[in-house]
Amino acid sequence: MRKHDFTTNQRLSDTDIVTAIKTNDETVLKSLYLENYSKIEFLILKNNGTKDHAKDIYQEAFLTLWKNTKEGKFIPQDQTSVNGYLYTVAKNKWMDYLRSNKYKKTKLVEDERQLEIHQDSFFSTSIDDKIENERLLDKAMDAFKNLGLPCKNLLMKFYFEKKSMREIAEELELDEASTRNKKYRCMEKLRELALKS
Amino acid sequence: MNSNHNISQEQLEAIERYLNKQMTGDELAAFETKLQENEAFKTMVEDVKTIFSAIETQTMKEKMDGFHEALKDTSVIPLHTKQRPFRKYMIAACVVALLGLGYVSLFGKSANEKLYANYFTPDPGLPTTMGTTTNFDFYDAMVNYKQGDYKTAITKWESLAQTAKANDTLNYFLGVAHLANNEEQLAINYLSKVTFSEIKAFDKEAHYYLGLAYLKANDTKLAKENLSYSSYEQSQSILSQLND
Repeated sequence: MRKHDFTTNQRLSDTDIVTAIKTNDETVLKSLYLENYSKIEFLILKNNGTKDHAKDIYQEAFLTLWKNTKEGKFIPQDQTSVNGYLYTVAKNKWMDYLRSNKYKKTKLVEDERQLEIHQDSFFSTSIDDKIENERLLDKAMDAFKNLGLPCKNLLMKFYFEKKSMREIAEELELDEASTRNKKYRCMEKLRELALKS
Repeated sequence: MNSNHNISQEQLEAIERYLNKQMTGDELAAFETKLQENEAFKTMVEDVKTIFSAIETQTMKEKMDGFHEALKDTSVIPLHTKQRPFRKYMIAACVVALLGLGYVSLFGKSANEKLYANYFTPDPGLPTTMGTTTNFDFYDAMVNYKQGDYKTAITKWESLAQTAKANDTLNYFLGVAHLANNEEQLAINYLSKVTFSEIKAFDKEAHYYLGLAYLKANDTKLAKENLSYSSYEQSQSILSQLND
């Protein structure tokens, strides 16, 4: 996998960023995360928020950037557009939060509006399906969070770090067939946990 | 999730190929036909897709917490409090003075680094009795290790790891030696291998040093996770300080 040198502060082109996000290049993701946080913290602290709010809102925005870039819903032109996108998403999320607190009586209207926005930016299923999909995803994420460390690390290497089976086998000092089988058993364990009601 | 029936390894790998767009030709055509005709199969594929997404999203969330920990080192000044210019210049003057006096290293350490420094002592190593002939090269490097010459020990052990099939003992000591040599990322690589091993001979020790390596790398989350897997008294003591 191609790695980017962020130590020289070089700006990344659009294809570099998309590739880096799609392949979960940790160096690039970390650098984007660190580079943009202070601006958003400033915005939230200035607008009645706390550092904890800043962290939550920023992480939600970062996750949106990551997901939407992967799914092709946001196509960054360059690094500046990534920074701008993060800022706008975080700002909108914070505004929504403030409004929902300030205008509790109009909360119902707000919620309806939010669902509409979500529906636009998600897949073209009904709202019920979408809510069900999110519930299943949350449940599966929780199952993965609580999976034993060896299985979690193995699945993370394959599905997040996108390492090849050969690379993982070498790291674990196993042959490829055993590693593949180990991965299968870990997936079954995870599926079983996620299926539990 | 509706499909609670088992999936075979072959089925899972086929679904994986399909979702990763690596399936072609007849196999792809047959797969797509089955998807259209078989509702249970369709649900199974959707469930697997959800699981893949969950692994990536949860990992990303955990990575973000790690990134956030790294922010603490950069000590962001609270931006909503107005600082008087005079105070700002005073602080700047103090920083310059401290730099001049060479004291900055004392203040540059993060809480994690300090905690690491308080606890890290290299494993005492294995006894190197006279007349050990079974694995001369390994014990030869162990002598260097015990003398604190970690670089030489690492060079010898790494060349041994290339010629012979590496084992837990070799990986464990390579990990600890790299950590003692302030190369925490390399330490993490070697120690992770030991914690993955089916043989649990070094399990407690490897998790302890892996936790310390993550602490040094300022990844508090993984430090805690690994320390919690080690039954060492020190592990519990570090954990309680990290949770404070």
